[in-house]
Amino acid sequence: MISAAHKASVRTAVLTIPFLLVAVAALQARIDATTNSIARPGQQLLLRSGAALKKISLGYNGLLADIYWTRAVQYYGARVAQPGANYDLLWPLLDVATTLDPHLIVAYRFGAIFLSEPYAGANRTDLAIELVKRGIAANPKEWRLGTDLGLLYYLRARDYPKAAEAYLEASKNPEAPAWIKMLAARIAEKGGSLETSRVIWSELYQSTSDPTIKKNALKQLASLKAQQDESQLDQLVTEYAKHFGHDPAKIQDMVAAGMLGGTPVDPAGFPYVLGSDGKTHLNPASSVEIIPPPKLPAPAQ
Amino acid sequence: MSAISGVVAINTFREAVRDRVLYNLVFFALLMIGAAILVGQISIGIDRLVIINLGLSAISVFGLVMAVFIGAGLVYKEMEKRTLYAILSKPVRRSQFLVGKYAGLLLTLTVNTGFMTLGLGAALFFVGRPFVRSDLSILIAVYFILLELALVTAITLFFSCFTTPMLSTLYTLGIYITGVFASDIHDIGDLTRSPGVKFIARVIYYLVPNFHNFNAIDFASHGDRIPFTLVAQDTIYAAVYVSIVLIAASAVFSGRNLK
Repeated sequence: MISAAHKASVRTAVLTIPFLLVAVAALQARIDATTNSIARPGQQLLLRSGAALKKISLGYNGLLADIYWTRAVQYYGARVAQPGANYDLLWPLLDVATTLDPHLIVAYRFGAIFLSEPYAGANRTDLAIELVKRGIAANPKEWRLGTDLGLLYYLRARDYPKAAEAYLEASKNPEAPAWIKMLAARIAEKGGSLETSRVIWSELYQSTSDPTIKKNALKQLASLKAQQDESQLDQLVTEYAKHFGHDPAKIQDMVAAGMLGGTPVDPAGFPYVLGSDGKTHLNPASSVEIIPPPKLPAPAQ
Repeated sequence: MSAISGVVAINTFREAVRDRVLYNLVFFALLMIGAAILVGQISIGIDRLVIINLGLSAISVFGLVMAVFIGAGLVYKEMEKRTLYAILSKPVRRSQFLVGKYAGLLLTLTVNTGFMTLGLGAALFFVGRPFVRSDLSILIAVYFILLELALVTAITLFFSCFTTPMLSTLYTLGIYITGVFASDIHDIGDLTRSPGVKFIARVIYYLVPNFHNFNAIDFASHGDRIPFTLVAQDTIYAAVYVSIVLIAASAVFSGRNLK
């Protein structure tokens, strides 16, 4: 039998707890506002030694590494939309995560992207290269890290001999696909050319399943195609000027002269336009973007 | 709190003292003296920082261990020893008994924390540091720890009303860990692209007891001022949350069949 006291207690709980929970949520919002107003600028990472953390993790270093990696992603994610953001703690977080678990491949691969991105990252190619090299040393069977190193040397550091060397090294892995060896040879022969960049981004697009990387690769490929088209069209403009004694006024003049089979369009389907400087440009309405070469890596600190 | 709850509280405190619960103060004193001597030998300029960090962390950890382990058996032990029947045969309501037990354990923890704070003050004095106005933030940090302990004690008592001490301890630790990482749950909600996950993260963030609110050790060690507004907000937050948990505990305990 349910006693009267129990009934009264349950009734009180049912009637008051929802209101009190709403009050708690409102209070929490107020506390957050107060705390944010007095928060110290930036964050601190008190334990920066992965080796020390490994010792005190009591064997749970894998779990701790996952936590540090998650923190690194959150740290990067919170800053990626802020131009000129400070990424000072990114390297220590990645350093600790990969020391705690040297086989955490995702931390090397994505960590290198976070570190090396010139516009939406720390722009520290030197640290990205160090991170990936450390990953290769700890995971010699993981050929993808070798290609990541090659990509870093090629796209970010623009050190083509080292990029070729990294791809060649990765190609020695029995599980590595054949295209890596061809890429190594191509970079050694024609490092820095638009066509070589196109091959690298195409392979990256084919080999990754990550939608963000795929989207970025497509953007890069569109940019490279536009740059190649512009370069070829500029050559035709020069030939036109030589033949007719003046520059064409518009692209259609070259079509009318039989130098082009039709109006050339960019990867987004917009026709190229001829500028007053006599150079070919993207249509202002086009979604294609010419991505400038990355800034040179900052000197090691 | 009624007079009956007060009597239960005093008896709970006496029982804790009889159980030599306050012996942990000896460990704390030794820890602080050892740290004060050692840190002075091996560090330059951070002895104050380390002693405040270590002292406040130790106060928090010792308090938490006591709150969880004593709180987990608070009601269960009374039922097992059958002393509860003697108490409830008198004109004592179950809710009064619960509030009394809660207040008694809180009194024990307050006395314990008070002594440990004195020990921390002595250690700071030992390293030859004069007390300054900004040290008030150390006392506020200690007060925040007490608020945290008040909430943990209430949660432990709630579980102790319907399950074994072992499970009460596990459940409380689970909620405590979730509450400590509440701000990370909020951040996950901010970073995700899924509106569903964002909503769930927000709901969890606002509903779990946010123990991150009570952590002012960083402010205290750097001598930063803690605004009165935050002290007031945290006090109200703890009071409201403790009320929720005690009302729920009372509802559960009143329905228990003690035969």
